[in-house]
Amino acid sequence: MELALPFPARLPGRAEIATIHTMSVHEASDGELMRRVREGDRGAFELLYRRYSRPVFGLALRRLGDRGRAEDALQETFTSVWRSAGSYRPERGPVAPWLFAVARNAIVDRLRQRTDTTADVPEAAAAEPGPPDRAEADWISWRVHRALEELPPAERQVIELAYWSGLSQSEIAEFLNAPLGTVKTRTRSGLSRLAGLLEEEELR
Amino acid sequence: MTGPDFHELVGDDLPEEELARLRRAHDLLLAAGPPPELSPGLEQPPTLDTDVVVPFLPRRRRGRGIGLAVAVGVLAFMLGSLWGTEKHDFDADRTVQMHGVGAHRSALASIEIGDESGENIPMVIRVRGLPPLSKRGSFYELLVTSEGKQLASCGVFNTKAGEPTQVRLSVPYRLGKDQTWYDGWVVVRRVRGSDDAPVVMTT
Repeated sequence: MELALPFPARLPGRAEIATIHTMSVHEASDGELMRRVREGDRGAFELLYRRYSRPVFGLALRRLGDRGRAEDALQETFTSVWRSAGSYRPERGPVAPWLFAVARNAIVDRLRQRTDTTADVPEAAAAEPGPPDRAEADWISWRVHRALEELPPAERQVIELAYWSGLSQSEIAEFLNAPLGTVKTRTRSGLSRLAGLLEEEELR
Repeated sequence: MTGPDFHELVGDDLPEEELARLRRAHDLLLAAGPPPELSPGLEQPPTLDTDVVVPFLPRRRRGRGIGLAVAVGVLAFMLGSLWGTEKHDFDADRTVQMHGVGAHRSALASIEIGDESGENIPMVIRVRGLPPLSKRGSFYELLVTSEGKQLASCGVFNTKAGEPTQVRLSVPYRLGKDQTWYDGWVVVRRVRGSDDAPVVMTT
């Protein structure tokens, strides 16, 4: 593994991304990636970003309701991850909840900024975590979207087409120009893999 | 909360325990909803000056121009590669590029807008990678938007499996190169019998 940066003093740059080619997304655990990020490994940071950028963005978009502000929150989250990687303690729990909390802090900061700049909006309470059911919904979306990133592309594609495009299995087969049996097999194996990923996370 | 029929997806020949596992994943997928689409600039891994402590992605407002220019350039190149060899006699004043979102993120489209001096503005939309809607009465609709709000329809179309689709449309209002009354375009899917019209492409 490259480099010996002292604890993240700087954010990663493109020029020195070397480890990305030697570590597949499916090979390293979140914990291993965080360990490497703590040591200043830019490739590990990129992989972590690829795994979590969509869940973070989804959470931000739901809470902030504005794409631009959600993009800001996404950037702020990963800036904080890079700067604060040293504060992550594996013995206290897995990476996903820690990163969820970092993201939520970045989002709350943005909610506070909004209430600070628009004095006539009585939304001080919105900066708080919110009702339990909303927090639960956020967490479910986070976990599912995170798990989807782990699926092989072919399985993920049929799952997304089936659930969010309103296409039947036959229509998906026609669209992908694939046999219906292949689509059914991929859908079933994708769901099974997804179930496994979600169960693994529950056990952590 | 609607979604695909669970039994159509997985069949009924699985052991009860496995069915229960898949059912739980199915329910969680429905509860989670679709993952959001990242803008092209955010899809890219971090790129930064290593000597300065700044966000690893260019700040949205500062870097939007550069990011968009790169994304549009790449998209234009891809679209040119896809359709460059096709013959068409449409004389476009300007072209707008679109990309798919969610499950259709690999879809691409371009809107060529013709002469806007007349009463009816001609345009051609070229689409690749959107699945055909086979249910009778279902179609895609192109609309102009402002801050995400859908303002006016530019027409409807359907696609063919495995082939780029090219459709001529005409709108009875001026769009204007300066885009004073709108700031984007979307394609939505309208399926007969459903009130839901999800956005499948955007600019």
